[in-house]
Amino acid sequence: MDFDYSDDQHLLMTAFESLLERFRAPPPGQHGYVAYSGELQAELAASGFLEITGQPGFGLLEAAMMTEAAAHCPVSVELAASAMLGAALGLAAPVAVAWGVGRPVRFLPVARTVVVIEDGRVTAGTPCADIARPVTGVAAYPIAVLSALPHDARQLSGTEAATVRRRALIGVAAEAAGLMRGAVGHTVQYVRERRQFGQPLGNFQAIQHRLAEDAQLVRACRWLAFRAAYADDAKEAAVALLYAQEAMRKVINDCHQFSGAMGLTLEFPLHLWTYRLKVLQGEAGGRGAQAGSVADQLWPLADAA
Amino acid sequence: MEFGWTPQENAVRIKAREFLAANLPADWQATAALSPGSQAVTDFSREICPKLHEAGLLLSHWPEEYGGVNASAWEHFIIGEQLWEVGEPRGPQYYNVNWIGPTILEYGTAGQKNYHLGRIREGNVIWCQGFSEPSGGSDLAGIRTRAVRDGDRYVVNGSKIWTSYARLAEFCILVARTGEGKRGVSVFLLPMNRPGITVRPIASVVGDGDLHEVFFDDVEVLAGERLGPEDAGWEVIRYSLNFERVGIPRYALALKTLDRAVMQLQAASAFGPVARQAAADAYASCEGARMMAYEAVDQRSKSRPGSGIASMARYAIVLAERKVADFVLDWAPHLFSSDADPMVATHHKRAIAAGLAAGAAEIQLNIVARDMLGLGVARGL
Ligand SMILES: Cc1cc2nc3c(=O)[nH]c(=O)nc-3n(C[C@H](O)[C@H](O)[C@H](O)COP(=O)(O)OP(=O)(O)OC[C@H]3O[C@@H](n4cnc5c(N)ncnc54)[C@H](O)[C@@H]3O)c2cc1C
Repeated sequence: MDFDYSDDQHLLMTAFESLLERFRAPPPGQHGYVAYSGELQAELAASGFLEITGQPGFGLLEAAMMTEAAAHCPVSVELAASAMLGAALGLAAPVAVAWGVGRPVRFLPVARTVVVIEDGRVTAGTPCADIARPVTGVAAYPIAVLSALPHDARQLSGTEAATVRRRALIGVAAEAAGLMRGAVGHTVQYVRERRQFGQPLGNFQAIQHRLAEDAQLVRACRWLAFRAAYADDAKEAAVALLYAQEAMRKVINDCHQFSGAMGLTLEFPLHLWTYRLKVLQGEAGGRGAQAGSVADQLWPLADAA
Repeated sequence: MEFGWTPQENAVRIKAREFLAANLPADWQATAALSPGSQAVTDFSREICPKLHEAGLLLSHWPEEYGGVNASAWEHFIIGEQLWEVGEPRGPQYYNVNWIGPTILEYGTAGQKNYHLGRIREGNVIWCQGFSEPSGGSDLAGIRTRAVRDGDRYVVNGSKIWTSYARLAEFCILVARTGEGKRGVSVFLLPMNRPGITVRPIASVVGDGDLHEVFFDDVEVLAGERLGPEDAGWEVIRYSLNFERVGIPRYALALKTLDRAVMQLQAASAFGPVARQAAADAYASCEGARMMAYEAVDQRSKSRPGSGIASMARYAIVLAERKVADFVLDWAPHLFSSDADPMVATHHKRAIAAGLAAGAAEIQLNIVARDMLGLGVARGL
């Protein structure tokens, strides 16, 4: 086990971080609910980073690292599904993942492929305007409601479907870890600068302890997501997402609490992390579904065993 | 970055498991429930630690010179997971190999190393930790026990409290005031049979032998028994606490306890959907704590200080311990209120102390806020 980058990972992530450099702040004048960057999306496609799992010496872990790092930016971009599923299954990027028909789906307005995960089957196809109704809400992802399966939807094989189910969870967990790191990092910075009672807010222990707890949760989320990616394992994927979906309930609320009224404005970038996290909180059935899945894998039901 | 085990690490785990299967008596779980400081567990530790050493499982992470094989911090931690998971048959001697030995290795003179590390290696010496006092708990700088220098010796007066294992201990790693101001403290390796030492057990819910008061009445300690320079005690303490905080893989016993509680519920057809959710949640907390502990071990294996990370890991471990204890109280209360499964009692006694021993949970959060988040200290309002 090694918690530091290897030399190759270091080179990879340095290159990747430098691609992200221009997107570390919201675009000037950006005061919308969503800060999706088509430019970053295009650069990702052109750069070859999305094919990382096929590169010799690299794999799903590196895709998870990049997912986490990209999510740490206030600007949103679709990376997890493209890098973790798209490359392995030959799907065109960006890839949107839908947990059923009739639901809001992240990145669907910009996706070239939609993978639909349902109880008995997983399908993939090309979304088009008549089945993807864009919605405007306060969420910080580009979102559309998927009204039907694409006409060219093909059912994935059993093995492909299992890969999708497993890796979709890992992707969400890694993305959540990066978003939480962004939100907590921004909040820590804020409480160091914002002064009340003649001193920085961050001096107060009531705030320190909750942020220290949040920092711990974020770190554990990151390691659990990376370990799940390293193992490419269904149980670890569910554990990682369960932990993340549990953690984000506290993290989101703490970050908003300590940012005061300022944290509710669109000018203040906090929502660009937290209002993506709020979407992820219920993704893949939410923590209830993840907990059920963890329990089923650890302690199979008698009639299933 | 990678999260696998080397073949060598897997082999060590298997070896530790096989050793335990061959060497733990059938009634071990009932003994373990008596707590590490009890007479029974202490006696057993004197039996099993020499065998552990013979099998290369006691202190393989130490340098060859002192009986180890320079194994990685990882291997030692893997062995620790296997031992803690079954209720810690090393009893109080886990202290020795986890943090007292390493602290002596770092700060000891050649003579201290030979004498103490040699004894620890033999697997039959018991140590206690004399840090806390009535006036110095979380704020250890409030300690009053004083060691007054008199030529090549000191005379110690004062008292310690909460001292685990003190009744049966042969040595105490003692912190006492040697100079002026907050900084002036030193650490001593004090034999417990010195005249003037009185030990009084304190009855508690964490088990027999785990809490004591220790009184020092004109106790003589030699200058040669001081660990590290005079008045350099804080550095030594900080070094030792980093090991202590993530010395015990507490999640290992928590996970085992969770599993056993679930087995009981399954057998009684009482493991319904809500309980399954709660169990999975506790499991995920333990796994999060495990990864935090592994990060701390990774830091240790690279000889990095990592104090903030150890505190973060400790905090995660405290929460995970509580989740499992609460799972039992919520869903399998009969295991708490009876002796149906001694492991549950063992776990409960360990879990309840996790947020206090080695520094209160809030102190860990203070350290994280200061060292990892760069936050300051509130000034008078
Ligand atoms: C089972 C067990 C075994 C132990 N074994 C040993 C041993 O062998 N040797 C030894 O020296 N000590 C030992 N201890 C003592 C342990 O180190 C102390 O209990 C611990 O440091 C807390 O000190 P205290 O109990 O005096 O609590 P206090 O310092 O009185 O604090 C009480 C509570 O107040 C809160 N608190 C305190 N300070 C702060 C702060 N700055 N900010 C926010 N909250 C705060 C915390 O919640 C804390 O738990 C043991 C304790 C236990 C429970």
